[in-house]
Amino acid sequence: MSIDAKYLVGRKAKLSTFVEPFNPGVVEFLKDFSKELDNQKKTKNYPDLKALSFFCREKNILIFRKKYHNQDTIRYGLGLLFHITPSNIPTNFAYSLIFGLLTGNSNIIKVPSMDFDEIKIICKCLNVTLKLKKHTEVKNMIAVIKYSNRHEITKKLSLICDGRLIWGGDQTVKKIKEFETKPKNIDVPLSDRYSVTLLNSEKFINLPEYKKNILIQNFYNDTYVADQNACSSPHLILWHGKFFVKARTKFWSALNELVKKKYNPPAISSVDNFSRLASNFITNKNIKSYQILNKSLYVVTLKKIESGKIIEKSKWGFFYECDILDLKRIEHIVERKLQTITYFGFSKNYLFNFFKKHNFHGIDRIVPIGQALSINLIWDGYDLIKMLSREIDIR
Amino acid sequence: MKKFFSGIISQSSFTKDPKKKNIVFTKYINQLTSFHYKKSRLYKKYLNGLKYNPKKKYELSKIPFLPVRLFKEFDFLSIDEKKIYKILYSSGTSSGNLSKIYLDKLNALNQIKILQKIFNTINGSKRLPMLIIDKQILHLDRNKFNASIAAIRGFSIFANHVTYLLDENDEINYNQLNIFLKKNKKNNFLIFGFTHNVYLNLIERLDLNKIRYNSFSNALLIHGGGWKKIEKKKIIKKKFNDFLNNKLKIKNIKNYYGLVEQIGSIFFECKCGYFIPSNYSEIIIRDQNFKEVGYGKKGIVQLLSLLPTSYPGHSILTEDIGEMIYDPKCDCYGHGKRFLIHGRLKSAELRGCANI
Repeated sequence: MSIDAKYLVGRKAKLSTFVEPFNPGVVEFLKDFSKELDNQKKTKNYPDLKALSFFCREKNILIFRKKYHNQDTIRYGLGLLFHITPSNIPTNFAYSLIFGLLTGNSNIIKVPSMDFDEIKIICKCLNVTLKLKKHTEVKNMIAVIKYSNRHEITKKLSLICDGRLIWGGDQTVKKIKEFETKPKNIDVPLSDRYSVTLLNSEKFINLPEYKKNILIQNFYNDTYVADQNACSSPHLILWHGKFFVKARTKFWSALNELVKKKYNPPAISSVDNFSRLASNFITNKNIKSYQILNKSLYVVTLKKIESGKIIEKSKWGFFYECDILDLKRIEHIVERKLQTITYFGFSKNYLFNFFKKHNFHGIDRIVPIGQALSINLIWDGYDLIKMLSREIDIR
Repeated sequence: MKKFFSGIISQSSFTKDPKKKNIVFTKYINQLTSFHYKKSRLYKKYLNGLKYNPKKKYELSKIPFLPVRLFKEFDFLSIDEKKIYKILYSSGTSSGNLSKIYLDKLNALNQIKILQKIFNTINGSKRLPMLIIDKQILHLDRNKFNASIAAIRGFSIFANHVTYLLDENDEINYNQLNIFLKKNKKNNFLIFGFTHNVYLNLIERLDLNKIRYNSFSNALLIHGGGWKKIEKKKIIKKKFNDFLNNKLKIKNIKNYYGLVEQIGSIFFECKCGYFIPSNYSEIIIRDQNFKEVGYGKKGIVQLLSLLPTSYPGHSILTEDIGEMIYDPKCDCYGHGKRFLIHGRLKSAELRGCANI
């Protein structure tokens, strides 16, 4: 099959192969790809590439296999997956591909039209690894293409694929869904989401200094590493407990030190942040106070958690915060768009019981601070292994 | 407000006494800020957010600035809706939304008056024939080119006669051009166009074999609107001027700088290559923390103008990059600040997830 687009990987791939989830050949391929990526000099400069290579290690994949794959059933990939990947996180397309491979599918990936270095490096490593003879089968399972605003290509691919992973804004997802697909095609829409952080102020205040610093570093990794652009990067901080004022002061000033030392965003970010604050002055009636700690750390303190009102997703280190005395008030902001809660100062058990008791119409992930970006085979509430493969029911 | 203006407009365009200008300008800009605070509901909310005190007199660098992007999000008005005489829309911005600038009759009139006044100081008050590097306004799509139309209208007042280089299909009309050039064999004349249009048509497309009277050397060429569209071709000012010089022998070339969002802020390049604020406008260059920076440092451009009274656009934070210049040898127009523009802040292409 050939599409009139720019091929970054796999122009000659047949894309008709499908295998069982966690196929040994696929696992072997990911292992070799991980090594290749590690060997690139440039990888050292990109934390996101390091994370990707770490993700593909054999050990990590085998943990996934153990956790998510039932050896007693017969499962196969759906066939061909068409991935429309987003531009907010440069490495995202690679994870989408890995999920497609691990579930036993052939994959055609549309990457964003922006020229990210990460995309170039990843594709180079894919090409090098696919040249090895032992990966002939996997070679037929991967094509990475690039095109912009050419609906006829999206249309054509939508007609021949068996499943689509649609990453993108709500508008993108809506648009893509308009294209006709095979009757049995499965769509996995991974649309715009936002995320919040839940912090126990009392537990935070009582942390020894060095542990506070680790927590702040983890929070930084969740947010600033991807310019707060990931759907799973929090932009609203909810403070629970009695020590709101003391805790927030300590938290933001410590984060400020780290941001000043490490974060170097493009100049437009300072205008973006100030413009966002200005808009807030005009439209947001819920502002109690605000603080500009530096050009890349704005904190808007809200009066209360408002029901039915989602605060827009921000970036470049722009945060909203609110003091909540009763955890149940969280229900006022929970809606389908809320993806991740990162937390500190609560036991997993406590949160498990709390969220089991309240069946909120939202929240797909609850992870400790520091794991916001660690992508998983359960994502956005979907069990991707189950969704992207089919099971043969033998009795 | 009419009274306010009569004081301003009677001033000469440029000053020999920058200290005095600063005092007068600061006084007026404070008046304007508190005027808009009272008149525009949205602007008041913004200033309240900044804890602005309408009774306080602020020094120039402390006058609040409104990020220019907000004109895309909000309809800022300091007049009754019934008084809207003209709406300017900005074009060609990345986000797709348009800035909307509301003018009443007085503001629309003053914009032209001031443009003319500044231009006359620079080029004398004699009206000249003008070649416009565009097609006739009636062939331009009003929705897409509203700001361009406003600029063409504004500049064509310097002309006693106007010829358009392009026909309605965007082709060079050699017939018209030859008539124009023949007529002005011995006269000085003006050429006006947007930078990218001048580049495309005069430098790239114009076929010299089809011209019978090459009298381009009599021209003063005025161009503006930014280099963004020809950036890909790696065209910088020096190269642009050299091309025009070599091909058409045009020596007198003036770039201008201005924003749709702020009437009254119009800057013509002087002989030394700098932009110089008039008595009606001012510029401040700020770093990323919005601290004012001195000579030789690039930063974000804040523009101030005494003209906007129908909308609160008298002090805006642009997304352009500028630099203050210290050059005691430059004695053009008047004394005071000199600056350069170095393009626009690169917009981060990462916009949410949407990307089909």
